[in-house]
Formats: sequence, structure tokens, C-alpha cells
Amino acid sequence: MTGPILRIENISKRYGKKDVLRGASLDVNKGDLKILIGPSGAGKSTLLQCINFLVKPDEGRVWLDDQEVHYANKRDLCAYRQKVGMIFQDFNLFDHLTALENVRIGMVRVKGMGKAEAGVRAVMELERVGLKEHMQKYPAQLSGGQKQRVSIARALAMDPKVMLLDEPTSALDPELIGEVHTVIRDLGNNGMTMIMATHQIGFASSLASEIVFMEDGRIIERGTPDKIFNNAENARTREFCSKITELYGERG
Amino acid sequence: MPESLTAVIDALPYLLQGAMVTLVVVVGAMALGFALGAPLAVGQVYGHAVLRRFIAIYVWFFRGIPLLVFLFLFYFGLCTAFDINLSAFTVAIIVLGLISSAYQSQIFRGAILSLPEGQLKAARALGMSDFKAISFIIFPQALRLSIPGWSNEYSILLKDSAVTYALGVAEIMARAHFVATRTYQHLPLYFAAGVIFLVLTWLGTKALRLLEERARIPGYSPH
Repeated sequence: MTGPILRIENISKRYGKKDVLRGASLDVNKGDLKILIGPSGAGKSTLLQCINFLVKPDEGRVWLDDQEVHYANKRDLCAYRQKVGMIFQDFNLFDHLTALENVRIGMVRVKGMGKAEAGVRAVMELERVGLKEHMQKYPAQLSGGQKQRVSIARALAMDPKVMLLDEPTSALDPELIGEVHTVIRDLGNNGMTMIMATHQIGFASSLASEIVFMEDGRIIERGTPDKIFNNAENARTREFCSKITELYGERG
Repeated sequence: MPESLTAVIDALPYLLQGAMVTLVVVVGAMALGFALGAPLAVGQVYGHAVLRRFIAIYVWFFRGIPLLVFLFLFYFGLCTAFDINLSAFTVAIIVLGLISSAYQSQIFRGAILSLPEGQLKAARALGMSDFKAISFIIFPQALRLSIPGWSNEYSILLKDSAVTYALGVAEIMARAHFVATRTYQHLPLYFAAGVIFLVLTWLGTKALRLLEERARIPGYSPH
């Protein structure tokens, strides 16, 4: 029996006088898909960004594969981040690079792979997200859904052990959400370990191994989708779930 | 043919040689200004507080003193005091380059700050060190956004370069003055000098416009 692939313990973050995270802990096993839900300002995005130290937590520790991450050491931090893929709400593709170059640059500049070898892999990853024919386009020439799929390909090309997805479909037009969900569903089916913040309850409940409800920087309740959506213990969880179900539909 | 016209035609090859000198001074100063200004801008945006303070003082210093004072200070002052043997031409490039570095650092700093914050975040998330992220992600984008600012900087440097005439650099202004005082054709010669400056300004901004066009990212407009 091996331990969790990713262990997050007691992460706290405060901005000025505001506590954004108050001691959030999470154990993620290999192949898990944890879904973070909760109102805006609950700390979902900050928690995800603290996990790969894009935001430096004030307190708390993180382990990947039973190795504690010493993020003050730049070399350790860069090595760790290669193993943790990040998907942003607003894509953050590199605007001056084509889709292909976006996917290739991490392999070339971080992993030190040759351009040709990295190019072959980049084409493969773009094919996997259905964008091979768009590989020569620049981000500004792609739709939102296509951009997000490129950004997923860019993360996958680094062979991450865990993926963090910060509301990957929130910035998308409704008709573009499906194509991104399809890619994420494929990842889940192929055993990728993921933590995702989302408001897409229907999608979340059909895929999640666990739903984590957050509010005011705390994890309030966690459990299977069925438990959280139908039999939540906490009144706030029930209230939030009924509101969001109304907004985003039962199953999607 | 009127005497004024023949005076200009006779002096033209001599003046155009001066235009070449002017161009070399300006391009040299722009290159030096860029080589110093770009790292200054990076330091001012991403550097430690002490470094940022130092750069702010550097910028204040080189933007705050008139060009003519710097030229004299450097050429007649420093070069004499420390027995440094530099030609007026070299001093002109160094002094204009140093001043330009202060201005160019601010052009470049503005370009860096106008990039979305997510670019650096995404680069870090891939495991890039800050140095790599700045070199491969931030720098190439900021460079493109800086081109319109350079166009401005070029035309200012071009006009400022006329001041180096005070050191005896054989540029357009020095040569026009030299011929004018000998032929007494002041009006046509200084008019010709002005026209040459206008043509050089037009050529330079045109060239930078072409560069901007070539470096443009398809479909991209940041604003």
C-alpha cells in the first residue's frame, strides 16, 4: 500500500488582513479526481496556486511522492513544478508562439530535449486534444476552447504526475465548454491524477472521485458526489449545492 | 543658376558624408542604449528593492542633465582629467548611448508591465526559472511592444546628435556650419541640413515601421 501521490497539509495564506486560506489539507491518491467547489472568494484558486507555489503559502507543507517540496530552493521548486501541470482559467498561452511552439517550449527549455524530438511529442499531444491541424496558428487565431486544449497539451507534454485545473471552462462560451470537458474526461479515464476547481456541477459529479466544498478559506465538507449533492451534512454545503445546481443544471 | 543653389549642390557630397557620420552615431547610440537599457528595465521590474532604487537613480541622473553638459563633462572633463584618449566621435556615441539607455529602459519597462501577468505564471508553472521565463517568454514579447517607442527614441536621438557638433564631430550640422561660414550662404546650407535631417527621420521611422510589421504576431492585438 503506497501513500497519497500528493499530500497537502495545513496550507494558510493571508493577504494583508484577509485570511484567504485557513489551514487547508488534502490527500490525493494516484488516479483521483478531486473537484473543488465553493463560492467565489472561497480560496479554491489560491489553494491550487499554493500547491505549485505560484502563490507562496504563509504556512503549510506539500509532499509529492512522499518527498517534501522545499520550495525556497529554486532548483527543487522548478523540478517539482515540472511534475505538476497547471491549467488556468484564462489559458495563459504564450502569445508570441504558435500552438506547436507553446507545447514544445517547456520540453526544450526546461527538460532540455532537442527541438526535433520535442516537436514530434508536441504534435502528438496536439493530436490527442484534436488540434493537430491548428498547430501552426498563434493563440490569437484560436477560439477559447482551442486555446484551453492547447494549454492542456502544453501541460501534458511535460509528463506531469498531477494536474491542477483552475476553473478551466469558466472563461469559455457555453458551446465551447464541451470540447474541453471531453479532453478532461479522457485524461481522467486514462488515470491522470487531477485537482480541479469548477462550477460545472454536472460534469464534476459524473467524473469526480471526491467533491471538496470550500468556503472562507476552509474545507467545510468532502465526500463522494452523491453524498455532497444529495446528502450533505453541512447546511452551507446543501445551500450552495442547491443554488449551483439550479444555475448549472443537474447533469451536463 | 542662383549662387545659393550652386553652393548647396557643391556642398552636397560633403554634407552627405556628414549624414553618414550622423547615422553611425545615432545607430551606435541606439545599440548601446538598448544593450544597457534592456537589462536595466528587467532589473527595475523584477529586481531586488536595492537594485530597483539604484536603477531609478541611474535613470534620473541621465535624464536630468542636458546633453551638452554631459558631452563637455565627458570630453573636456573626464577625458582630460584621467588622460583618456577618445575621439569626439566615440565620446558622442557613448554619451548619447548612456542617455538613451535611461529612456530606452523606460520604454522597455512599460512594455514588460503591459504584458498580462499570466504569461510569467504560465512559464513558472512549466518549471522555468525566472531567468528562463524572462528570456524566452517575457523578453520576446516586450521587444515587439517596444518598437513604436524606439521610433520616437530614434527621432529624438537623431536631432540630439546635432549637438555633438560642439565637440567637433564631423556630422551634418558641423559641416553645414563650416561651409556656410566660408561661402556666406547661411540660409540655403542650414536649410539643406534641415532637409537631410527630415529625410533621415523619415527613413528611420519607415524602417522601424517595417520591422514592427514583420515582427507582428498574427491575429494579436494587446489592446
